[in-house]
Amino acid sequence: MAVITLQTFFIALFGIAALWFGVVVFRTSSMMRSALALLFSQTALGAMFLAMQAEFLGVLQIMMMATEMSIMAIFMVMFMMDPGGLGEMEMTHQKRLSIAAGVIGALAVSGVALFAHWGPVTTVAPAAAEQIRGLGTELLGRSMIIFETAGVTILTAMIAATAVAMPALQRKKTA
Amino acid sequence: MRIAVVLGFLLLGAYLIAVLEAWLATGRLRLAAPGWAAMALLGRESVVPRQPDRLFFETAPVLLLIAALLAAAVLPLAPGLFITNLATGALFVNAALAYVLVALLMAGWGPDGAYALIGGWRFLGQLIAYSMLIVMPITAVAMRAESLLTTDIVASQAGLWNILYQPLGFVLFFLAAMGVAFLPPFDLPSAEGELAGGVTGEYTGVRLAVFRLGRLVLVITLSAATVVFYLGGWLGPVLPPWAWSAVKILAVSAAMLSIGHYLPRIREAHLLAWCWKLGIPLALLNIFIVGILVLVWP
Repeated sequence: MAVITLQTFFIALFGIAALWFGVVVFRTSSMMRSALALLFSQTALGAMFLAMQAEFLGVLQIMMMATEMSIMAIFMVMFMMDPGGLGEMEMTHQKRLSIAAGVIGALAVSGVALFAHWGPVTTVAPAAAEQIRGLGTELLGRSMIIFETAGVTILTAMIAATAVAMPALQRKKTA
Repeated sequence: MRIAVVLGFLLLGAYLIAVLEAWLATGRLRLAAPGWAAMALLGRESVVPRQPDRLFFETAPVLLLIAALLAAAVLPLAPGLFITNLATGALFVNAALAYVLVALLMAGWGPDGAYALIGGWRFLGQLIAYSMLIVMPITAVAMRAESLLTTDIVASQAGLWNILYQPLGFVLFFLAAMGVAFLPPFDLPSAEGELAGGVTGEYTGVRLAVFRLGRLVLVITLSAATVVFYLGGWLGPVLPPWAWSAVKILAVSAAMLSIGHYLPRIREAHLLAWCWKLGIPLALLNIFIVGILVLVWP
């Protein structure tokens, strides 16, 4: 029988918090509440990383999500017709398809989590500073191509989006 | 004990900043001014506006205070005098400061007021301007220290402070830090006279008192971050380490407050343009220069 340590307790606690905030995302009609619920769900995931002694990943997750979800919030408010959710507008559609897709997705992910061969599990996590050094070496070694490709792709998308967003008149003026 | 000392230091700092702010605003030095202001705020009714998003309205001031305190938790005031020393310290400062934005967005959205709402969204734009200028100079600082530990960063400046080693990074970080604390001329979200207080406009009484305290602690925290990253932290001759930290932090806060006193408020579009067209290339140049310096003259 596994002994419930303080670490497992906190991992479970933050995991439940992440799930709960994930549910809140869809239970509210306010776009702002929805966006910030997603933020706190992601922050709880970051806290799970911290509880699992992956300090760098945890802090990075907590930092990145705060800005990303806030920026997402302004887009949600801009694009929805009832951003405050006060008009009691029906915001959901294709319910059956969404539920089916959600259940199948959840089953698939749980299946992978349970049955995949994850290789040897580390019993003792390396010290935080050592992890950062290891990540740095990884990013500049084997994973360099992947990260550089992702970075350049995002940069290209940013430039393209800015170019598309500039009104035609202004483009002519600058050309 | 350590935690109590650091918290006491932050509170004392917040008090001194409040005195300084009142002095700059009124031209009179009154040591009791923050006390009277706090008593007036606490005695006043704390009005809840009509149809607020109550959860956000109540959370925002507390979240601002917590974000500032969390960032301060990893900044050492003297050898051994810190709340916690994380291996990711320099990154953690930035992670905690990101929640200042979340707090201000909540304060903007919560009260269901037009001016507050504009103030909140303005700060989102402001973050897009300043955030890279916080992260990239910190990257250069960590490059020299070869560590994200804040104590290692201070130790790396024993020979030469970072303000002299990477002056460009210092200027960018200092200005960006003023942006984080929405101090004038970057006080776009609160903008007295333009937005009638903006994000703070709908707050009264005890909630406003917490909001103001959070902002004061944020100023102290950012000054402490500037001192740790660029001004050699506790290092200095004759005086004990904690005294050097205190003197430097107060000097940086005073500089931040007085610079804003003489400058007009910047426009959002101008802030974004300057930060992206000038600030980010300069921050990249700073990383490049420091990269070469670290190899040639560590």
